[in-house]
Amino acid sequence: MKHHSLPVSPQTVHWGYFSKAVAPALTVTSGDRVTIETLTHHANDDYERMIAGDSAAEAIFHWTAEEKTIARRGAGPTEGPFRYGSGEGVGVHLMTGPVAVEGAEAGDILEVRVLDVRPRPSASACYCGRCFGSNAAASWGFQYKDLIEEPKPREVVTIFELDTSGEPFAKAVYNYVWTPQTDPDGIVHPTIDYPGVRVDHTLVRRRENILQNVRVPARLHFGTMGLAPAESDYVSSIPPSYTGGNIDDWRIGKGARMYYPVAVDGAFFSVGDPHAAQGDSELGGTAIETSLTGDFEFVLHKRADLGGTILEGLCHPMLETAEQWSVYGFTFANYLAELGPAAQTEVGNHASIDRAMRDAFRKLRRFLMTAHKLSEDEAIALMSVAADFGVTQVVDANWGVHGSIRKEIFRCTGV
Amino acid sequence: MTVRHYASESYTEVARGGAWREVLAELGLRSGIDAGLADGYATAVLRGAGDRLIVGRLTAAAQSFRPARGRGRLSCLVLPLDDGARLTRAPGLEATAVEPGSLVLLPAAADWSLTLDKTLPAIVLCVGEAVFNGRRTGLAGVGQAEIAPTSGLVAILAGLLRAVSDEVEHLSTVEWQSLEQSLAELYLTVVLSAQSRHAADAPAVGSSGLLHRITRTIEQRLADPDLSAVRVARLEGISERYLQKLFEETGESFGLYLRERRLQAARATLSEPRDVGLAVSDIAYACGFSDPANFNRLFKARFGQSPGVFRKQATRPDAVAATSRADQRGWPVEALTAKAMRPPPRSMPVPEQAGTAERPEPAEGPVHHHLPVRAAHVHWGFFSRSLSPVLEIASGDTVTVETMTQHASDDHELMIRGDPAAEEIFRWGPTGKTIDRRGAGPMDASIFGRGAGEGFGVHICTGPIAIRDAEPGDVVEVRILDMQPRPSLSPGREGRCFASSAAAWWGYHYRDLVERPKPRETITVYEIFPDAEDPYATALYAYRWAPQTDPFGIVHRIYDYPGVPVDTRRIEPVADVLTGIRIPLRPHFGVIGLAPREAPLVDSVPPAYFGGNLDNWRLGRGAAVYLPVSVPGGLLSIGDPHATQGDGEVAGTAIECSMTGRLAIRLHKKAQLPGRPIADLTYPIIETPTDWVLTGFSHPNYLAEFGAKGQSEVYSRSSLDLAMADAFRKTRRFLMSTQGLSEDEAVSLMSAAIDFGVTQVVDGNWGVHAIIRKTLLRRAAD
Repeated sequence: MKHHSLPVSPQTVHWGYFSKAVAPALTVTSGDRVTIETLTHHANDDYERMIAGDSAAEAIFHWTAEEKTIARRGAGPTEGPFRYGSGEGVGVHLMTGPVAVEGAEAGDILEVRVLDVRPRPSASACYCGRCFGSNAAASWGFQYKDLIEEPKPREVVTIFELDTSGEPFAKAVYNYVWTPQTDPDGIVHPTIDYPGVRVDHTLVRRRENILQNVRVPARLHFGTMGLAPAESDYVSSIPPSYTGGNIDDWRIGKGARMYYPVAVDGAFFSVGDPHAAQGDSELGGTAIETSLTGDFEFVLHKRADLGGTILEGLCHPMLETAEQWSVYGFTFANYLAELGPAAQTEVGNHASIDRAMRDAFRKLRRFLMTAHKLSEDEAIALMSVAADFGVTQVVDANWGVHGSIRKEIFRCTGV
Repeated sequence: MTVRHYASESYTEVARGGAWREVLAELGLRSGIDAGLADGYATAVLRGAGDRLIVGRLTAAAQSFRPARGRGRLSCLVLPLDDGARLTRAPGLEATAVEPGSLVLLPAAADWSLTLDKTLPAIVLCVGEAVFNGRRTGLAGVGQAEIAPTSGLVAILAGLLRAVSDEVEHLSTVEWQSLEQSLAELYLTVVLSAQSRHAADAPAVGSSGLLHRITRTIEQRLADPDLSAVRVARLEGISERYLQKLFEETGESFGLYLRERRLQAARATLSEPRDVGLAVSDIAYACGFSDPANFNRLFKARFGQSPGVFRKQATRPDAVAATSRADQRGWPVEALTAKAMRPPPRSMPVPEQAGTAERPEPAEGPVHHHLPVRAAHVHWGFFSRSLSPVLEIASGDTVTVETMTQHASDDHELMIRGDPAAEEIFRWGPTGKTIDRRGAGPMDASIFGRGAGEGFGVHICTGPIAIRDAEPGDVVEVRILDMQPRPSLSPGREGRCFASSAAAWWGYHYRDLVERPKPRETITVYEIFPDAEDPYATALYAYRWAPQTDPFGIVHRIYDYPGVPVDTRRIEPVADVLTGIRIPLRPHFGVIGLAPREAPLVDSVPPAYFGGNLDNWRLGRGAAVYLPVSVPGGLLSIGDPHATQGDGEVAGTAIECSMTGRLAIRLHKKAQLPGRPIADLTYPIIETPTDWVLTGFSHPNYLAEFGAKGQSEVYSRSSLDLAMADAFRKTRRFLMSTQGLSEDEAVSLMSAAIDFGVTQVVDGNWGVHAIIRKTLLRRAAD
């Protein structure tokens, strides 16, 4: 077993997409551990607190009229003229990786164990050592077309500070309504439509004393983790799908084990979208987006060895924690296959948790029938009385419902 | 015909291929390549019947389709939505690539193959002869495979197919039937024009276009008693002789064809429940028969029954139920419409109830009451503002309330026998039953014939309890101090606790099963161990529901009426189910509600603003629910006791177990509410020691939203998307109005810290709840 380190740098990140075509930042063998740094793509919502003084963050977010370190942001076109910018923001998450796993082939399952997660402290002169995050109630949020206060619609950014002195919690520092921001290439962003645009704080009005006395308990986790899909070379990082991705379940934190179906040789694991806390549904469009560092362990399960294990027949991402297994249902279990060539833009037009619930129901039934050897009648009886379905997210184009079953139920069955 | 779903995610690797081939068979297709199917990701949604018309939306893995022969099939139209499809029109010919969005015509009689080189989405329209109800189309056994030029009517048909396939799950039966006819007409025109393009190759089909036009003319003029071959020939500008010849080529004379069409039209009208008001003679005239006596004779000769007898059978309630509405719980909308049109009875029908209210004199300080379960203390399957209370209490009193599960009859021996209260409540003999009304439906069971109340509502509710001084606008708090299962009194099993869970026809799984037989209902009987260190339930045995004849002689093919005695000779118990599995208990009451204001009798199944069938397991020991008062006294009913339930309650029920609760009930007068978390309350809110749980519904007040039709519409229009929107709005309001947050603060907090979960997808009005941890707000309250 080797322990690798994968620091975040312009050479180790790709922005806004999963890709089987990007050269791996690191290659590991099954059983290896890796410490991986991640940056939130919302760091520019408050440059002073989340980028200044942090040389890696400064380099990655560097963007002037002359030079943009990471030009491509998203799976969209990279040839201009652009509406929003290179990659067109079709996918927004700043991803570290890919990590290639030796010997991984389509049909295998990659297990990713999250051993530890910790926040990345600010390196700026004024806030050194403190930790900050940003929450954007954005145009893709569930509330956006259903607001009651004026002006309508509006996007609101709330900056949080993470207190880790005791039981960690987040507390709001201030918020502001998004105003049109002009990027160094001269493109105006009337809404949050392209990641990493530095907010000019002379153009927004800060409102202090918000969410007074409210403490949000920390749930450190990675919103986006997954493998490169087979269907396209560049796949938007926004809709989660059969190889994982932007699942946005806060349970994918310390102690979690995620299982992903491998779609391409080498698996190509990437991680990003770090969150300090999130509620089930991620209602406003984002969590408390906070740069984090994680320790991971990779275990490759070869296709031939899956029979008779809980991974038998697994064709979608699955979570295992100390207490439970969770399967993830989406509006489209595999939107890339189901929606054809326009899938990456079309998927958002069909968002529905009704379909995601149906998918979660089917996946959990299959899991209980295959991994726990239940008949269909037993599986359905058990789901009605012992499985809990929750709303994972209603903001990532391919909406999610998770179905969870507690492990203690099977304590006496020997599985 | 119901919507069928296929998803490869549902099946084990071994079963995937077989299930997929069944989907294809329905569409008149077979797959040439089996290898790889087990790996391939595939989905399908189908609606319609194979001999008539099916619209399907597929995602299919790489494979090759060929026609599967089947009686009455005309053709299949495939609309690939991505590139990667190739058509081979006949064996030995070169394959042609199909552009995405092109319509491929695939006659059942031709020998073509359609190859998919990769996984791709497609829409399929499959047409059978029966959709034309006996009309001549001249299409059977002819035609050749081709890619239709994408213009004109073909483009319209393709566009319509896309639109229909998007909505196919959401269309009502009536909407589907009208679309079926429109699609059939469009299909016919498109195929006939394709054939006329090939007329040079196959001269015979030129005449089928003309024949099609003639049959359409006949359809439009069926009511005309003077319609004749001469007149039709004149309208079409051909000679009568040629017309006769065209029909003779199809093996039937014009006269016989016309008579058959008239008879079919009459038969269709006679089987329509909406038209039962029309006289048979009027129907005969409307279909072009000038002599009703002659019509009666012809009809009987053709269909073996007189029109009157046929109509009586075809519109019988159970026949109607079997065709159109059996998959929906509650009132059928037609019955509600009819009910609304009838003049109101002179006096409001007050549901029958024996016994007298216990009205203790107002006392100093809180009083403890005991409300045992017995026939006089329960009402079954409904809420009602018109019921006399069985107990009146003052705010602050505590009540021990016994409740009985309506599923006790699933195993009489374990859950009823020896328990005098249960025996009395469930007693049902050939001459009578203790509690006749079960549900909010008509007492004469004139809709489906299931029994009094029609099972429109199923829960045995203890109460109602009147709360002194409660008035509309106030809030009633029901706090659960303790809950204990009701021990069995069955000889030899005294003191043990039993329960039942039904995977029933109203469950989320019922139309989406993978194992055979489909569909089916399964009852699992459990034993409860409430005194174990970690209290749990474990399954004893299960059985498949088999038709049960109740003591009145009504056969219940499905679990459609509560409390039907199960004849143990007609079921086959299966032991060894859920072996070794221990399900932790979450004791709670599924139903806690006040009487709604809108209607005198309200189905107990759909929850709404007044509470009712909330089915949230968090409402257990130590929790409270706050309910808005709609009628004087509040009229609190409690029932549907659950030993445990999962979020979603997917199979339709929890582990249903008779239980006794100790409740503390408090009245919060409207004037005292401002500034408290329960201010401005228009919906049930649950408080646990750690959380506030807000209840969102697809239709927060379905009785008001849909008016007289509410008790039917709520079942057909529920969705989690709607319930999520309601939960979001309620949570925002709660945070803004009771916690003083701005909208922006509320939305940010919801995103970062509030958990939304699926409460249930089986109670007509589906639920999503929002969990607000009190620790979030703790410091605000300090």
